[in-house]
Amino acid sequence: MSDLAGVRRLLEGAAASLEASRARIDDLNVYPVPDGDTGTNMALTMRALLDELAQATATTRPALAHTVTRAALMGARGNSGVILSQIVRGAAEVLGDAEEFDPGVLARAFRAASDTAYRGVRRPVEGTILTVIREMAEEAEARAASERAAADLLRAVLERGETALARTPALLDVLRDAGVVDAGGAGLVELTRGMVAAVTGEPLPEPPPLTELAFEAVHQERSEFRYCTAFVVLGAGLERESLEREAEALGDSLLVVGDASALKVHVHTDDPGAALTLGTTRGTLAGVEIADMHVQTAEREERLAVRTPEPDAQRSSDVIAVVAGEGNRRLFTRLGAAAIVEGGQSMNPSTAEILEAIEVARAPEVVVLPNNGNVIMSAEQAAELAGKPVYVVPTRSIQAGLTALLAYDPSLGAEENEAAMREAVASVSTAAVTTASRDVDLNGLRIHEGQYLGLLEDEPLVGGESFDEVAGAVVEALLAAPHDILTFLTGADSPPIDALVSLVEERHPDVEVDVQPGGQSHYHLLIAAE
Amino acid sequence: MPGEITITTEAIAQVVGLTAAECYGVVGTAARGGRAGRLVSRDRPERGVEVVRTPDGLVITLRVIVEHGLNLAEVASTVRSHVRYEVARLTGIPTVSVDVHIADVRTSA
Repeated sequence: MSDLAGVRRLLEGAAASLEASRARIDDLNVYPVPDGDTGTNMALTMRALLDELAQATATTRPALAHTVTRAALMGARGNSGVILSQIVRGAAEVLGDAEEFDPGVLARAFRAASDTAYRGVRRPVEGTILTVIREMAEEAEARAASERAAADLLRAVLERGETALARTPALLDVLRDAGVVDAGGAGLVELTRGMVAAVTGEPLPEPPPLTELAFEAVHQERSEFRYCTAFVVLGAGLERESLEREAEALGDSLLVVGDASALKVHVHTDDPGAALTLGTTRGTLAGVEIADMHVQTAEREERLAVRTPEPDAQRSSDVIAVVAGEGNRRLFTRLGAAAIVEGGQSMNPSTAEILEAIEVARAPEVVVLPNNGNVIMSAEQAAELAGKPVYVVPTRSIQAGLTALLAYDPSLGAEENEAAMREAVASVSTAAVTTASRDVDLNGLRIHEGQYLGLLEDEPLVGGESFDEVAGAVVEALLAAPHDILTFLTGADSPPIDALVSLVEERHPDVEVDVQPGGQSHYHLLIAAE
Repeated sequence: MPGEITITTEAIAQVVGLTAAECYGVVGTAARGGRAGRLVSRDRPERGVEVVRTPDGLVITLRVIVEHGLNLAEVASTVRSHVRYEVARLTGIPTVSVDVHIADVRTSA
């Protein structure tokens, strides 16, 4: 048997054994995050590895080791898959250079697998798959001299793996509390069991029956695609690979499992119709589930559609501002911002989106106003990546951004503008009124969910049922320091502010109040005091 | 018993830093601006971590250094879910977002 065929047979045995226990291992998964996907992730990693090997043509042992290492790296799914890819890599490095697979070589392979796995983490946590692979390596080394057959060594390693696995709850409290052994370690033991079966020629574990996959476990992270689409195709002679290939073009987080009579499909896509059509052309549909993962997608599309106006040849620098709210956007444009990147409190733009706006700007230099504490870092990264001089004025609010923009002079370079803007921002005080999204008890202030929440310079100051009282209190706090101008930016669905304005004018006749429709979501009122 | 309990952002940042250090694939966290990615000393786990409070919850940004030869997307994804989970478990404060920046990739000895 060629090396390639031998490796395939070994890994097929391992994968089949793992597959048989996949659901059980999913159920064990409580660490690091109890999302019940360890078995699935390891099975998918093995499947990717086998798919790659099916197409492999490597003829030399080192080339084969390289193929296996690369396939495991590329196919790694989830935390356990990544660790598995390191175990595979360490073992492949030794086996690729070996002449014969005797117990001594196998022991070195287990040692390398363990060492490589440990190298991947700064602070290894014991009681996990790491502990299991390390003890397996120790057993292999202890037996290398006495065992003559590779199969006997593997059997001993498997037994030690089972013992190590059984002791994981003693090492990791989370496991003990949940009354389970480590899921990743269990996966490694099953993989080893399958390899022993493949080497000794003992029967492989029973192939798994078609079981339901927990969709939530497959992919909990947010996808760039909008609809989580899942369905079952019932029919005869269904081909998993061809369906998988066609569904792959539609999105990500793809999973197609099942047999010739029933296939379960899960995909994140922007076109659920096309995904369902893949099913109807092959058989009948059942259990269709479609979930909209991003209600914000429409806003994102709008944001991406915003384009820079024609360049003015006289401009030495352009200003790009990150702004939320139709009214605020108009304000920034009116005050001279060359481009607006839509975004704000709950919808931060990516570095790429800011970078795109910078690249589109035609002036030779650019100033960026992030206008939110959470956007400053993205803006700074975009500035680093940009192909032209870019300065970021770290404005933490829309109000600060507006104040900065008032200091902007298009005929000056970005550096001079930045200095002037920083100075302007230093003189502005800000406040805001929002709605508490949950009970908060921060900085000694008790506010209940749904109540109005007044913020002074981003810190909770006051809460209550009455908008006028809360807003009035933050205004008074702002005006405790001398200011001449108050700017109110009203939100998309803010309560009427006439009473508030009258009150302020009555109490502070020297202060000029300027009300602008900001249209931002989330904040009923943004206030700047200069 | 009356009294207030306050969890400072620094404490949360430490939780984030210690959790990140335990994530598979992470060999260090990088201080902001340190382009070369200095390894963070053990007594300053909050370096490379930025925690911002918003009315909706926490916005967490962290810069990590990852071991060479790992699937970076999967490592980052693990760090995100682990951090989100641990912060919720230990502080009870929800997390709006966890941005993971891979500041450097290195090969350990």
